Amino acid sequence: MRKPGSTVIGLEIHVQLATASKLFCACSTDYIGAVPNTNVCPVCLGQPGSLPVVNARVIEYAVRTALALGARIGQFTRFHRKNYFYPDLPKAYQISQYDLPLAEGGQLPVGEGDDRKAIAITRLHLEEDAGKLVHSAADGRLGHSEYSLVDYNRGGVPLMEIVSEPEISTPAEAREYVARLRQLVRYLGVSDGDMEKGSLRVDANVSLTNKDGSLGTKVEVKNMNSLRALERALEYEIVRQAEVIGRGESVRQETRHWDDANGVTCGTRGKEEAHDYRYFPDPDLPPLVLPVGFVEGQEALMPEMPWVLKERFNKDWGLSVEDASILTEWPGLARYTESCVKGGANPLRAANWIRTEVLRVLNERKMPIEQFAVSPLDLADLLSKIDRGDVSTTLAKTVFELMVAEGLSVSCAIDRIGAPAGKLTGPELRLVIEHILARETEACEEIRAGKDPKGKKRGFLCGQVMRESRGQADPAEVAKTLGEIIANL
Amino acid sequence: MTSLDLSGAQIARAVRNGELSAAETVDASISRILQLEGKVKALLTPLFERAKSFADQLDRKIASGEEPGPLAGVPVVIKDNLCMKGIRTTCGSRILENWHPPYDASVVRFLEEAGAVVIGKANMDEFAMGSSTENSAFFPTRNPWDLERVPGGSSGGSAAAVACGYAPLSLGSDTGGSIRQPAAFCGIYGLKPTYGLVSRYGLVAFASSLDQVGPFARSVEDLALALNVLSKPDPADATSSRRCRPDYQKCLGREDLKGLRVGIVREFEAYPVQPEIGDALGHVEGILREAGATFLPVSLPTTIEAGLPCYYILAPAEASSNLARYDGVRWGMSVEAEHLVDLYKKTRGEGFGAEVKRRILTGTYVLSSGYYDAYYLVAQKARTQISREFAEAFRNVDMLLMPTTPTLPFRQGENSEDPLQMYLSDVFTLPVNLASLPGLSLNAGRSSGGLPVGVQFVGPRWGEETILSAAGAVERVLGKPAAAFGGEGA
Repeated sequence: MRKPGSTVIGLEIHVQLATASKLFCACSTDYIGAVPNTNVCPVCLGQPGSLPVVNARVIEYAVRTALALGARIGQFTRFHRKNYFYPDLPKAYQISQYDLPLAEGGQLPVGEGDDRKAIAITRLHLEEDAGKLVHSAADGRLGHSEYSLVDYNRGGVPLMEIVSEPEISTPAEAREYVARLRQLVRYLGVSDGDMEKGSLRVDANVSLTNKDGSLGTKVEVKNMNSLRALERALEYEIVRQAEVIGRGESVRQETRHWDDANGVTCGTRGKEEAHDYRYFPDPDLPPLVLPVGFVEGQEALMPEMPWVLKERFNKDWGLSVEDASILTEWPGLARYTESCVKGGANPLRAANWIRTEVLRVLNERKMPIEQFAVSPLDLADLLSKIDRGDVSTTLAKTVFELMVAEGLSVSCAIDRIGAPAGKLTGPELRLVIEHILARETEACEEIRAGKDPKGKKRGFLCGQVMRESRGQADPAEVAKTLGEIIANL
Repeated sequence: MTSLDLSGAQIARAVRNGELSAAETVDASISRILQLEGKVKALLTPLFERAKSFADQLDRKIASGEEPGPLAGVPVVIKDNLCMKGIRTTCGSRILENWHPPYDASVVRFLEEAGAVVIGKANMDEFAMGSSTENSAFFPTRNPWDLERVPGGSSGGSAAAVACGYAPLSLGSDTGGSIRQPAAFCGIYGLKPTYGLVSRYGLVAFASSLDQVGPFARSVEDLALALNVLSKPDPADATSSRRCRPDYQKCLGREDLKGLRVGIVREFEAYPVQPEIGDALGHVEGILREAGATFLPVSLPTTIEAGLPCYYILAPAEASSNLARYDGVRWGMSVEAEHLVDLYKKTRGEGFGAEVKRRILTGTYVLSSGYYDAYYLVAQKARTQISREFAEAFRNVDMLLMPTTPTLPFRQGENSEDPLQMYLSDVFTLPVNLASLPGLSLNAGRSSGGLPVGVQFVGPRWGEETILSAAGAVERVLGKPAAAFGGEGA
C-alpha cells in the first residue's frame, strides 16, 4: 500500500528499431533528411491491394531486447489492427500488437546499493510508425495552418513499445529508467536510442495516490525530447497535480504536452474524444510462431548487459561505482575500456585516463569513441610506460595529445617530441642523483641522521630525481641508487 | 477462328506451334466484344490497344524462338479489383474511379508472364459486395442468356465475358461466392481455390481472411491450366501457402471415378431450392455414380444454421477496416472540404454506394467496444466450428456435391431493394469461404426457360485435384458449356 499523495509513474517507451528496412516492406528506414515521400512503396503507403510481410530482422531485435529484460517471449504472437482516421496513417489503421504481444514481464534494474530496485516491465510489443505531418503555419501548429503536408517516409518504420508497471516513484528514477533502457538498446545494437531525433519517445503516466492509498487519476504527459525534459516535466506535473488536489479539486484524466520553453505541461483544449480503436486480429498476417531454436539463436548473439559489465568493472577491477557507470554508459566506451585493460593497462589508471583525457577529447570533437584516433591498445601501451616509469605523467599527456592530433603510435609520438630515447640508468642516473643531493643537503643530512622514519624525505628526493630525468628513470632504480649514495656519503 | 471455337489450352497450343498468331486471337476477341458489349456490358475498361501491342510483342518473341509460356496468346479478362500498373482500377466504385495503381497484382503478373493477353477489366459489384453486379457504381452487367436478368456477382463482368466468348479465361475473386454464383448464373465454370493457394497481393481487399482469386472458363482443362499458372507461392502475401503445387492438368485424364466418395449434405437437402436446381443435382449425381463414385450423407448442422450470420459479421468487420483507407487524402476521389473530418465525410459519403456503406456500418458496429464479444468473437468461434464440421465430413468423403445457389438467375432489380434476400443467394457458397475450402461451380445444363443451372463441388483444403477431375468426368458426359449468343453474327 502506498502512502497517500505519493507519486506513481509508469512509462511507455517507443523505441525505433535500427533495421535497414521497414516493418512490413523493403523500404529504407533512413528518413532523416530524405526528400519527402521517397522512401515509400505500395505497402507502406497502404495502396489498395498491397499486403504486409513481417521483416524477420525486427523480430530478432525485439527478441534480443526481451531476453535482455528477462521477459517471457510468446511462442505464439500476432498482430492486430488499431483503427482510426488520421492523414499520417495511410491505411487508417496501425498494425500493432494487442492481446498476444511479443513478450511480457521482465524488469530493468535502476539505482545503486540500497537504492537499487528493479522496475517491472508489463509488455513489449511491435508496431509500425506513422508518417509525419508538416503544418504550414509559422508556429507549426495545425490550428493556425492554411494547409498541412504529409511525408510518409517514416510510415512503417518499426517501433518497439516497452511499457513499465506503475512502479516508478520519482522523476529522477524515471530519468534513470529511461537512461538504462536507452543504454540497453544501444548495447544490443537494436536502436540508436536518440531522444532528440525521436528514435526513443517517452510517454509518462503520472498520478498521486488518494487518501486511502489507492491509485489516483492518471495524466499522460507527452513531448519530452530529452532526459532532462522528462525529469522537468514530471517534476512540474507532480506539483501541478498536488496543487489541484490541494485546492480540493480533482485531477482530470487527460493527455498533457510538455512545453519545454515555458517549462509547463499543457492540456489539450476542448473535450478529449474517447477513442474506440476497434482492435481485431490482422487477417493479412498469420499468427507468428517463432521457429524452434530462434530464441536460442538470438541468445547466442547477446552481448554482456551494461549492469553486469558495470558490476564487473566495480568488483573485479576496483573501479568506483561512478567510474564504472560512466565507462559502461555507451557500449563502445565499455569495449574500449576493456580492450585497454586487456592490453596491459592498470584498470584504475585506464579508468582515470579514459574518463578525463579520452572523454574530454571526444566531447571537444563531438566524436563517437568508434572514430577515436588512439586505439585502446596504444593507450594501454602509453599507460604501461607510465607504470614502468618510462615516461612521466606530464610527458605522457603531451604524447597523448600528439597521438590524438596526428594518429601516431606511442613510440613515434615520443620520438617526435624529441624526448631522449631509452632510459636514464646506471652511471648517468647516478650523476643526476648526485647533482640533486648536492642541492638538497638538508634533506640528505636528516635522512642520514635517521630523522625520516616514514620515508617522506626520501620520497621527496626521488620525486626531484624523476622530474629532473623527465620521467625517463625507473622509480625503483632511482630509490635503490639514492639509498646507496646516501648510505655511502 | 475465334475464342468461341477454341479453348484457352487449344489457343495456347496453336500459338506456340505458330498455327495462330497472338495478334489474330486478340483481334478475334476484340471483334466478339464489339459485337456483344453493347448488350451485355461486361467490361469497365477495354484494353484493346494494350492487348494488341502485347500480342505483337509476344508474336515477335515466338518468331525469335523464345518460350512464350503456357498461356501464349490466350485473351483474358481481369476483374476490376485486381491491380494493373498504370491501368485504371475502379473496384466498381466512384471512390476509385480514376485510380491508376503503381503496381501489378501478382496474379496479373503470373498470367502475363505465362503469355496471356489482358483484353479488358471486368465490371463488378462495388468492392465485390453484391450478388448481381447491380452494385457497380457505373452500370449493371446483364446475363448473356437473358438480358433482363442478372449475371450474378460480384464477379458478374468476368463471368459474362467468358460466357459470351470474349475470352476463354477470366479472373474473378470470391469472398462468399463471388466466382461460383456468377459462374452458375452465366452457365460456365468458376473455381474458388483453397484459401492461400493463390496470391492476394494486388487484389483490392474486401474481407482479407475470405478473399481468394480464381478463374472462370468454359472447359475444365482451361480451369486446370489457369490454376497451374495462378497458384504460385508468393512471398509478397503472408497468407500464401508455401506447399508444393501439383500439376492440375495431370489429374484430368482419369476415365472413371472408382473409389471417389461424394458427400451429400443432409441439411442442404432440406433447404428450399428451385426445382430445376434439385433436378440438376440429381442429374450430376447420376453421372458421377455412373463413373464409379459412391454417395454418402454428411451433416453440417452449424454450417447451415450459423454460416450466413457468421459471414455477415466477419466479412463486414474486415471490410470496415480495409475500406477505411479511402479517405480522400492520398489517392482516389477527394471531395473539397473545409476541415479534415468534412473531407472524410464528404469523400466517403459521395464515393461509396449504399451496399458498401451498409457493410462498413455493420462492420464498424460489430467491432465496437461492447459489441465485439457479442458479435465478432462469437462469429469467429462459429467459423472455427464450421471449419471443424467440414473437416469432420471430409474424414468420410472426398468431396461434396451441393447447390451453388438456391435460385436460377433473378431479374434485374428483383432483389436490389431487399438486402437479406440478396444475401441468401450466397447461402451455399459462403460456408466454403468460412472453412477456407476449394469450391467449383459447373454448368449442368439449362432450365426449360433457357437459363443456366449450376451445381457446386466442394473439396477438402488443397483438394482442387479431386473436384477438377470430378468436373472433368461430368464434362465428358455433358460436353463443354456453350457460349451465349452462339456464333450468331460471328
